[in-house]
Amino acid sequence: MSRALRWGLGLLLVAGLLLGAFLFLPFRDWLPGGTVGDIAKREVVNGTAFNRLFPKPEMGEQLVFTQEKRGFSEARLKRGDEVLALLAISDTTTAPAARSKYAGSTAVIQGWPLVEQGPQASGLLVADRFQVKVIGQGSGLDAERRHELLGAFDLKGLAALKPALKAGSDRPARALPPGRQAPVNAPLPKAERSPKSAVLEPAA
Amino acid sequence: MSPTVLNRLDHLPRRNLTVLALTGIGTLAGGFHNTTSSKELIADVLGSEDPELMVQVRDRADELSKARHEGYGRALSLYDAVNRSQHATGGLRFLANVTSGLPLIKRLSALTPATDTLQAVDLGLKVAAEMLAFTQVNGLPGDSFGAFAAALADYGQQERVRMTALICFDALLPLGDQALERLDGLLGAAGSHDLREMPAYPLMAGLIPGHGDDAHMNFIRSSVGTWSGWAQGFVGQLGLTGQKAVQALEQTIGPWQGGFEQLAVFLDAFTDTYYHTGVQAVARRLVERAAAEI
Repeated sequence: MSRALRWGLGLLLVAGLLLGAFLFLPFRDWLPGGTVGDIAKREVVNGTAFNRLFPKPEMGEQLVFTQEKRGFSEARLKRGDEVLALLAISDTTTAPAARSKYAGSTAVIQGWPLVEQGPQASGLLVADRFQVKVIGQGSGLDAERRHELLGAFDLKGLAALKPALKAGSDRPARALPPGRQAPVNAPLPKAERSPKSAVLEPAA
Repeated sequence: MSPTVLNRLDHLPRRNLTVLALTGIGTLAGGFHNTTSSKELIADVLGSEDPELMVQVRDRADELSKARHEGYGRALSLYDAVNRSQHATGGLRFLANVTSGLPLIKRLSALTPATDTLQAVDLGLKVAAEMLAFTQVNGLPGDSFGAFAAALADYGQQERVRMTALICFDALLPLGDQALERLDGLLGAAGSHDLREMPAYPLMAGLIPGHGDDAHMNFIRSSVGTWSGWAQGFVGQLGLTGQKAVQALEQTIGPWQGGFEQLAVFLDAFTDTYYHTGVQAVARRLVERAAAEI
């Protein structure tokens, strides 16, 4: 066997092993494509923080949470077995395109821009980052009822999530895959906390 | 590049034995609607047929299903693994049934793992896969255990046909009407070597929490414990029995002369009900999310 051939075979073997390692060993979590839009998870607010901001159901209706992921939380509004609407809050960090439709909006709820998407969906963009949505299901909801539901979300609390997140971005960088996460403590809005402590402090 | 969730939905069969079996068993649970078009699903969730909106939802859904951490793809690999395993064991048992009359290859029937214990382990793996897939697709919805239980119950109601098929095809037909009561005892008698005999197990092992076969067996037992409590209520609510399941199936796949167990083996070997309804369930959750995020 010639020397060149031996070197060639050796290199081929090494390249094959490296390729195999990349494909079969658990390196995949560090490769791009693991997260939506390749945006690091810590830049996205965890869905747990959104849950307490959903509207309280009226008499005879129930709110059942159905999905909770990084940057997303969704619930169904039900009356008995009938699903009236899907309610959701999402962090548009991973979907910046979703923000553009609010640019031309003139309607507002509590000062935040409102957009209609087809006959059954209404969206609200809070703090230029969080999208709140109500989508009528089954026999549907009229626009007035959808807007009422949008207004019933804790929009102030939602808007306040943003500064808290920036301060809280020193959370662990690597999170477990969805489904194995321990419930993360909701980042409390710092803005609310500071005035309280100011009141509690003894007058100097 | 593996196909996205919605691509898989678009490629599901419109009419074959699987669909016929689901249509039949669906009559016990308020009817089965065979959703095989992503467009139809998107329009249904969105309440609008605006083509521009539908394209946006489709693109977002594809982006979400490509992201590994979002779990939609992982859930489908679980269903894939279970489905392949079901075919393998079902096919082997079917072969044994057919060939047990022929003297030369009679010995093949001795190979078949058709005992109740293995059937129980198979069901246990399916239930565990269902629990894991649920958390992969939906995360842990709600802030309390009660909210999580409500989310599971809601899922069970929404996926009535899927649950009916699972209960009938994998519990009531092969193990008898007392299957759910017997299940814990059967799993208690099973060892980790029974688990290792299931072709789906090596494919799923990495996704089951805990290290080692014994920890995995414990996870399966506790999933089954949680599930069978709910399933017993479900069986009572719909009045499900093996007899009723056979009658419902006969409406679509024709008269059946053999025993319940043979029917279960036949369905295991030749239908993909678990995978079929699984893709439909994941696709709906994915579209519900994509519609809320566009």
